[in-house]
Amino acid sequence: MRYFVGIDIGSTAIKISVADENKNLVGHKISASGSMFYKYAQEALAELLKELGIDEREVVYTVATGYGRKLFKEADENISEITANAIGAQQAAKSYGNIKTIINIGGQDSKAISLDAEGNVVNFAMNDRCAAGTGKFLDVVAMNLEIGVDELSAYHFKSVGTPLSISSTCAVFAESEIIGLLGNNHSVEDIVSGVHYSIAKRIVKLVKRVGVKENVYFDGGPALNDGLVNAIENELGHKIFVPEYPQITTSYGAAVLACDAFLSESAS
Amino acid sequence: MHTEHTIETSAERQNRHKAMEAIAVLNSLKEDFKSPIRSMGYFYDLFEKVYCNHQPLHEGKAKIGTMCIQIPSEIIYALDAVPIRLCNGFYTDDEIGGDLLPQKSCPLVKATVGLFASDNFSDKPDITFSPTTCDQKTKAGAIIESLGHSIIDVGFPRTKESEESRHYWRESVKSFAVKLSKFQGKKLTRSNLESAIKKVGYAQSLYHKLTEFRKNKAVPILGVDMFLVTNAFFFDKIDEWISAVEKLVSELEQRASEGINVAGKASPRIVYTGSPPIFPNYKIPLIIEQSDAIIVADETCSSNRMFNDMVAVDEWNLYDMIDSVSDKYLKACTCPIFTQNDDRIRRIIQLVRSYSGDGVIYQAFAGCQVYEMEQRSVLAAMEREGIPILYIESDYSPSQHGQLTTRVEAFIESLKNRKRMKK
Repeated sequence: MRYFVGIDIGSTAIKISVADENKNLVGHKISASGSMFYKYAQEALAELLKELGIDEREVVYTVATGYGRKLFKEADENISEITANAIGAQQAAKSYGNIKTIINIGGQDSKAISLDAEGNVVNFAMNDRCAAGTGKFLDVVAMNLEIGVDELSAYHFKSVGTPLSISSTCAVFAESEIIGLLGNNHSVEDIVSGVHYSIAKRIVKLVKRVGVKENVYFDGGPALNDGLVNAIENELGHKIFVPEYPQITTSYGAAVLACDAFLSESAS
Repeated sequence: MHTEHTIETSAERQNRHKAMEAIAVLNSLKEDFKSPIRSMGYFYDLFEKVYCNHQPLHEGKAKIGTMCIQIPSEIIYALDAVPIRLCNGFYTDDEIGGDLLPQKSCPLVKATVGLFASDNFSDKPDITFSPTTCDQKTKAGAIIESLGHSIIDVGFPRTKESEESRHYWRESVKSFAVKLSKFQGKKLTRSNLESAIKKVGYAQSLYHKLTEFRKNKAVPILGVDMFLVTNAFFFDKIDEWISAVEKLVSELEQRASEGINVAGKASPRIVYTGSPPIFPNYKIPLIIEQSDAIIVADETCSSNRMFNDMVAVDEWNLYDMIDSVSDKYLKACTCPIFTQNDDRIRRIIQLVRSYSGDGVIYQAFAGCQVYEMEQRSVLAAMEREGIPILYIESDYSPSQHGQLTTRVEAFIESLKNRKRMKK
């Protein structure tokens, strides 16, 4: 068997996807980027192949993507996360429908990508300068509220009052706002839904810059947070599609591209 | 796989956005200041009920929308209807209206048009009267009408000195009264107008009592709370407003006798003027009072200008009453739309003197041309009088909060220094 590997080295996590010749996902792994991207990426890949019972020699083409992609020198090719994300989303949502808009919230950035009918990237927008309203921000919020980041969604849906808006999605300023709200005995539920709506408003503004066309696909770690998903749906005014493994769309896209690249190379 | 969610309709989204704006300001009023006033609870609850829970207040009553203070509420009450002033302070609605008006328009007008465009009222006006005051309000009427709402212009003059203007306005008010009386199928009579004038007059007298306390050295009520109280008069049931303010007056009497001061020892006393702060756009007043100053008086159409001047009736017969009501809304008005507006300058100076103001803060909405234009003459007059003044332009957007705070703080610090130097 021949296998194709996509490896996405992000600011927070390393995501690896393995695809077969039919571009089906056969396995994936998510591990922390930590301080030594390259070393951890190599280790993670070796572990994943071992888990899947794949011999290293069966991996015929590897594509690296993400913020740390250039550090992974074994890759046959490296591509930007925008392209990889677009390809991955198309493939992952195949049974759902044609994806025209992608929302991606990562550990430290967020982006909106607009695709044409063929799945080519026509426009994209990224958040500027800082990590406001990204995965890191949710970590800080959960820490301040003394709950787990995976509990945010449950708190969101339990909110019965008016969501309490956080005027700043800057992790540093929001921290003092949240402490202030807690000090005045506001409910954690209303704070959480307020945080989600603050992020959602911000991301929807970004999406509107590239234009909202259905279907809309949402990926990145924060897409695991169903409360945030619903907040974005409410701000957009329609449904969004979240894949089964929202964290690995970009690495899966890289694996799909690896497969395409290999097939076209061997054909010529 | 993720679960299917119910997704808000656009009206629900708008309501949530407005609730989020409203609750943030209400929480600030309740939590950011010392010595809270018990009887303010009525007003906090009222705004929460209307703007967070979107509960109607006037079911079964005819609701008459008004676009400015010039539409005489006395006549509306006399004809057994409820006036609802539609001047709007929500950024959510401002953004909606922004799609229908030029980009540089006044946020208040954009927000008002936005509310009509969304047609999402908790108390929807059955008919709206729009006095032809500033250009933007005047032109907004036609846009609102094109959106399918019934709106009637009420001609308002741009000069107030001349007899012709006075005559023109009195005729406008009469014609307004005739139209409303037809709409209501009810006659305006000597007795129903007299009791309405007296009721509104009583509400005004309560406002005057409240403002008296603000002359004290120890000020028992915040300016932002006062704005909320006067703002409630836009839409509240008048009898309930009156009884809530009666309670507030007696609590302030108590607080004044105990010497309770909501401000700090060195807090500069501010007279606030310019474009009206309308809930929840209390951005600048909140910054002022969060920066250790206290608003002791204002010259705005959402507060002082709405209550200050009483209807002065010579003879309690119907036509005299209508003329007197008309005069109050023209002669006493200090709106910057007038060609000559020295009255406004005189009023600001008089407020500074009688409320021992240390300085004036003049806010104009970016896009509110008449207030932007009048800042020159007001600034020059204040300079002649030796009254420090800060002019700020801002809009309804939540951005630039930091920059605005820095400017206000610097002005307040300069006032504190001046006070110290004087001593």
